[in-house]
Amino acid sequence: MKKLLILLLFSLVSFSSCDDIFKTHPYDVNFKHPHHINAQQIIRIETDFADSDTLRVAFISDTHGWMTHTKQELDMLNERKDVDFVIHCGDLTDTGMRYEFERARDMLSRLRYPYVALIGNHDFLGTGEEAYEVIWGEKNFSFIAGGVKFVCLDTSALEYDYMAMVPDLDYMEYEATRDSSRFDRTVVVMHVPPSSEEFNKNLRKTFRYYLSLFPNLQFCVFGHNHHTYEEEMYNDGLMFYGVGSAEKHQCRLFTITRNDYEVETLYY
Amino acid sequence: MKWKLCIISLLTLVSLRAMADDSIYVKPSSPSRYDRRVNRYRKNWGALIPTLFVFQNAGNMGTLSGGIGWDYGRRKQWETELMFGFVPKHQSHRTKVTMTLKENYLPWSIGMKHGWSIEPLSASFYLNTIFGHEFWKQQPSRYPKGYYKLLSTRVRVNIAIGQHITWQIPQERRHMSRSISLFYEVSTCDWYIVSKVVDWGGIPLRDIVGLSFGVKFQTL
Repeated sequence: MKKLLILLLFSLVSFSSCDDIFKTHPYDVNFKHPHHINAQQIIRIETDFADSDTLRVAFISDTHGWMTHTKQELDMLNERKDVDFVIHCGDLTDTGMRYEFERARDMLSRLRYPYVALIGNHDFLGTGEEAYEVIWGEKNFSFIAGGVKFVCLDTSALEYDYMAMVPDLDYMEYEATRDSSRFDRTVVVMHVPPSSEEFNKNLRKTFRYYLSLFPNLQFCVFGHNHHTYEEEMYNDGLMFYGVGSAEKHQCRLFTITRNDYEVETLYY
Repeated sequence: MKWKLCIISLLTLVSLRAMADDSIYVKPSSPSRYDRRVNRYRKNWGALIPTLFVFQNAGNMGTLSGGIGWDYGRRKQWETELMFGFVPKHQSHRTKVTMTLKENYLPWSIGMKHGWSIEPLSASFYLNTIFGHEFWKQQPSRYPKGYYKLLSTRVRVNIAIGQHITWQIPQERRHMSRSISLFYEVSTCDWYIVSKVVDWGGIPLRDIVGLSFGVKFQTL
């Protein structure tokens, strides 16, 4: 009897290692490779577009659980064939569950272009923050393409109950001068814009000061609000571009040249 | 003479006493209020003795869960189970413990030869809670009202259907349990259903349903 019991328990545990049929828990942080996708994609971007005079960067955002819409969005971008790389501005999931992250990862792997993804406030729910770090990597990251440094920041301060320095000002200060010989312009990307209640109100002015440390800051891009929208949030000429959600069938394409940039909204 | 009388009366007394002991008729001693209370007390607490032990894998309640249960109903068609499970650490910071309250309904049991029987349907409803500071039962007060239109990241509402096969252990071979059941079930939870409803064509069915295997030991 005891042997039978041990055998049964053992077989139950070994069955559970087949992840696809057995659902252990929505918040089980157990992901097969690839891990740290951003780091791998950044290598691709930095080698392929190191000397580009013109960059064509597509920004998508807030794909959440809308996989059908997201697929249409990615197919539309793939068909264009004129995009250099894609930046996802966060909210890859609705509730930070394991299967949502896996679906988002598998969906984004359809892109023919290299891409990076930011963490959005929804991606923090449950064990989402840990899952994001396993699959995509650090929550703050940067890369340089064609002389432009793209600084991607975690700005979902409310998820930390405003108890952490979010956005990370030390990181911003560090990135303002790191590898300064390789870039002369900067683009800052975030999920939550400073005007949002999710942003840390106490850091709104300070954040603007730290943004001013970046050489030749061109513009800022954000997601979160689900609609295509633009505003000088500090009334000082610095543009903030909001990227629409997958459900709204909207995304942005920026063409960044040596002296200027152009922005267009893509509907599909 | 005096002695004779003494012995006779003593014998009579002893035989009378023996007759009284042998008597079929014993005056019923009606249980006192205290006795009745004790009986009720034993019976009520006795109902809490688990009648079954259950182990199962997966089912959105951890890699492996185990617990106790009670069956009841005229045909013992209802079961209530309390289980604890664990979610291994994997790539997270720590192992997590889950607790599940599960209600099963097994409407039919089809008897077969050699003590085997099949329960062709089990329908289950269960609540699972996961312990840890990163999960909340209700949206914490830091968020504006209705910020996340979700019930809870901690408690999942699950449903499952499955089948059991049971072997009644013969009297002479019983050691710990009366019968053993093997079962499987297919389950899903509230958020999986919501994700499917939000994007019906985009979410494959295999993403929202999961398989579980389990074993049940009927001890009482």
